[in-house]
Amino acid sequence: MSATAEPPTTATVVAGARRERGLRAGPLLLTAPAALALLLFLIAPLATFAVYSFLTGSLYEVSGPLTLENYREIAESDLNRTLARNSVVVGVLAAVTSVLFALPIAYWLRYTASRWKTLVLFLMVASFLASYLVRIYAWRTILGTEGVINSGLGALGVIDEPLTFLVFNRFAVTIALVHIYLPYVVLVLYAGLAPLKPTYLEAAQDLGAGRVQRWRRVVLPLVAAPAASALLFVFVLSAADYVTPQFLGGRTGVLLGVQVQVAFSTGDYAAGAAISFALLAGFLLCYGLVALALRVARVDRLRFVS
Amino acid sequence: MSNEEILHAMVQRATRRRFLQRAGAMGLGTLAVPGLLAGCGGDDEEPTAPADEPAGPAEVPTASGRVDYLSWEGYDIPDAMKAWTKSNGIQFKTNYIANHDDIQGKIKAAGSAGGFDLTTYYQGYKQLYAQLEILKPIDESKLPNLENLDEFWGGDLGNFWVDADGTRTGVPWTWTPLGLTYDSAKTSELPSHYDLLDPKFKGKVAVVDDPTGAWAMAAHILGLKPDEIKKADLAKINDFLSQIIAQSSGVSPSFGDVTTKLTSGDAVVAFQGWTAINKFAADAGTKTIKHSIPKEGGFTACDCWAIASTADNDDAVYSWMNETLKPDVHAAAADYVIGGVTVGDAYPLTSKSLQKLYPAEQQAEALEQAPLYNNPPVESDEFVTFEEVLKNWQELKAGAEA
Repeated sequence: MSATAEPPTTATVVAGARRERGLRAGPLLLTAPAALALLLFLIAPLATFAVYSFLTGSLYEVSGPLTLENYREIAESDLNRTLARNSVVVGVLAAVTSVLFALPIAYWLRYTASRWKTLVLFLMVASFLASYLVRIYAWRTILGTEGVINSGLGALGVIDEPLTFLVFNRFAVTIALVHIYLPYVVLVLYAGLAPLKPTYLEAAQDLGAGRVQRWRRVVLPLVAAPAASALLFVFVLSAADYVTPQFLGGRTGVLLGVQVQVAFSTGDYAAGAAISFALLAGFLLCYGLVALALRVARVDRLRFVS
Repeated sequence: MSNEEILHAMVQRATRRRFLQRAGAMGLGTLAVPGLLAGCGGDDEEPTAPADEPAGPAEVPTASGRVDYLSWEGYDIPDAMKAWTKSNGIQFKTNYIANHDDIQGKIKAAGSAGGFDLTTYYQGYKQLYAQLEILKPIDESKLPNLENLDEFWGGDLGNFWVDADGTRTGVPWTWTPLGLTYDSAKTSELPSHYDLLDPKFKGKVAVVDDPTGAWAMAAHILGLKPDEIKKADLAKINDFLSQIIAQSSGVSPSFGDVTTKLTSGDAVVAFQGWTAINKFAADAGTKTIKHSIPKEGGFTACDCWAIASTADNDDAVYSWMNETLKPDVHAAAADYVIGGVTVGDAYPLTSKSLQKLYPAEQQAEALEQAPLYNNPPVESDEFVTFEEVLKNWQELKAGAEA
């Protein structure tokens, strides 16, 4: 049986064209408010501070002419170099540690947790409700001179004097940052693993792949892109953090984000803007390097097939 | 001029000013003023109110509406001002600062858009705030209770709150001498600031992130004036401060964090210690935290009420300031912030514990031992400037020059 197609009337054509235009315009209209908000609250301030970074700053004011002096000072400052090094070290450590810890947890949640999954996911999300500062101070309570670890080891007779390397250094900052960002990374990786059906792994097993090979040749390539996103996410937020280092960083764990905060709070807008954009440039470079690494490893375009 | 001479001169001037204020309040009028000034032998005396303001009985404006407050948490003295807020139907909106630089930062950022009415400033910031033009002049005729201020605090001491031309920009209401705060369960009282450098305190010294305060303290200990330190002498301050910071476990972002370090055992003694830490610690259950002024002395921080340049409810701010100068309210506020009083009649109304911290008979001595200083100058070719101090502090904190 064949259906005879009737020629479209003018009205049908016009209605169809309208519908098509509507379909094309729909997404634009829907995204317009968000785009406008981004323009007003992100792009415009960024553009303003981009200009500031090339001006001369005095107390709470900036003035012309355009200059590269702020960037020259950043490059020549021992302090900024020290803080940038701290930022890279802490950022990389926090990011890598978070992903390394999160991956098995996400894998377990996806394939093994069964009835525990809902509870664990709920606890992950619930941890976001705890205040950032409370979590930082919790680590002080754990790692401090008279904290849980030192008191416990002292009570057990393992140590005579408190261990002083536990807190007020990069180590403490990294631990706190991993604790803060781990739930985000678990959720990102869990979402990344969600389309990877158990049948993929079964198929690999049927084809003779052992446990390690299944991880190396199936799981990791498919989860590489979300893992890289999570890695960059934690790296950027950790390296630019200015709160945790002030409470846990001591003298060696101060990061470049603190310098940005200090510059703006003391009215040196030009220097603050320049350091911010130097940081942004560093982050973009990292993004480029990670994207390149994914491409070289040929895992950047892998997609799950249903 | 020695500190003693300055104190004497200040008290004399304050006495004359107070007399003039009272004369004005009694309706003696302006005609009598030149004669009175001549009688006092003071041809440099300035009128208490701006020149274009008519003299007359002081009258406080009626408060109403919303007050936007910008200052430290606690300086909003909620208990002491509860009755005032309620009886005037005031909507009191608090904007707490994390450090003193937030005050100028936020007022400058608010700009002509308005926003903040009532603020405070530590006397050292006066010069900077004058340059930034973020304070409104205060009309003394709207503050009848200004006469309650002690002679010492009522004067134009160091131009901290009254300019040389008689324009008032601040009302001093609380003060505290900074010295050392220590845990008496872990150490005896330290007679000298240099005791902080003892190896036994390695990693056990708390230092708060207050660049101008640390600068003032270091300068005073080294026998220098914080606002007149030659650029060549910067190394002396750096050397001392870097040694202090090297003894710490890192610079604390706030006095609250200093308190936490002392009560948790992460610190035993705090450089630039503050009496209020004792109270914070006691509230947290640690009763052994004490405050002392070592033999080298310290410096005093006096905070003033002020009207922000962005204010759009000046009347309510005048009413607020006037209210806080009532002895009973002032005493309650002093107890709340653990600060010294500037209204003498409030002193007997304060708690015994506060009186123990601030013995009335030792006030002059305390202020001589821990004087009030200006911050470093905003601009100078000769002396280290405010901006240089801030920059220097960041480097010291990160150990770049340690």
